[in-house]
Amino acid sequence: MYGVLDISVSGMVAQRVRMDTIAANLANRDTILDAEGNPNPFRRRSVIFTPGDPDATSDRARQLGVHVSAIEEDQGDFRKVWDPDSPYARPVGTPDAGYVYFPNVDSVTENINAVDAVRAYEANVAAAEATKSMLAQALRLIA
Amino acid sequence: MFISGITDTGALPVLEKTVQFAARRHELIAHNIANLSTPNFQPRDVSVTGFQAALAEAVDRRRARAAGRGPLDFPGTREVRPTAQGLRLRPMSPSHNVLFHDRNNRDLERTMQDMVENLTAFRAASDLLKNRMDLLNAAIRERP
Repeated sequence: MYGVLDISVSGMVAQRVRMDTIAANLANRDTILDAEGNPNPFRRRSVIFTPGDPDATSDRARQLGVHVSAIEEDQGDFRKVWDPDSPYARPVGTPDAGYVYFPNVDSVTENINAVDAVRAYEANVAAAEATKSMLAQALRLIA
Repeated sequence: MFISGITDTGALPVLEKTVQFAARRHELIAHNIANLSTPNFQPRDVSVTGFQAALAEAVDRRRARAAGRGPLDFPGTREVRPTAQGLRLRPMSPSHNVLFHDRNNRDLERTMQDMVENLTAFRAASDLLKNRMDLLNAAIRERP
């Protein structure tokens, strides 16, 4: 019965990682330089969920639950902003000359995903509450 | 078992099976909720009516054989199999909701409803079980 809490917790952890990723995407939606200061815009990241939980405490619970198997970078096109005076504009002679590349983060999509993550997190909390009340009920049988 | 004559009386075996079933099914529902946003995941459940029908048949057989005494012979169903450690579930009943773009046919409202109903069934069965146990305790101690 304790394994059931692992399942709900794995769901909560996965949704929190998703929320972290969304927060990072939104925080970096105008980041056009990389850590070294070169023009290399941030790419939107998204989490990939897979059933099963490698961190669970029992064999049975390892087959159930969910975990984040990968965090992938979105290879979609960057947002282009016309700004030929910017020091980070694409140089003459390259494609899109005179444009500055901005991250391919769309804040509407991120916000919708955030709402979805919160709802899914709440559903897992409700499942965990139900598990707790079942455990308490089962213990009352003995006492 | 030495005390099997006590633990097999009356409604005890039926209640035991119901509690085991609800506890196992809760695991399944929690798994389905944890995978609400997993692509390609399709929630699966076990058929409650199938389990209830098989249990009702077992109860009828027990009544006909030993007038409601003795062990319950529960053969299980396609999805529910009795083992030495309790019941084992093999979920096969799929969700019938529309398929979303991530190829997951989740149905959060129905899943939550299933969870609440399952919890209520667990509560009811374990409350009755507790009543029975208290009665047995009272009989053993010869005072209420």
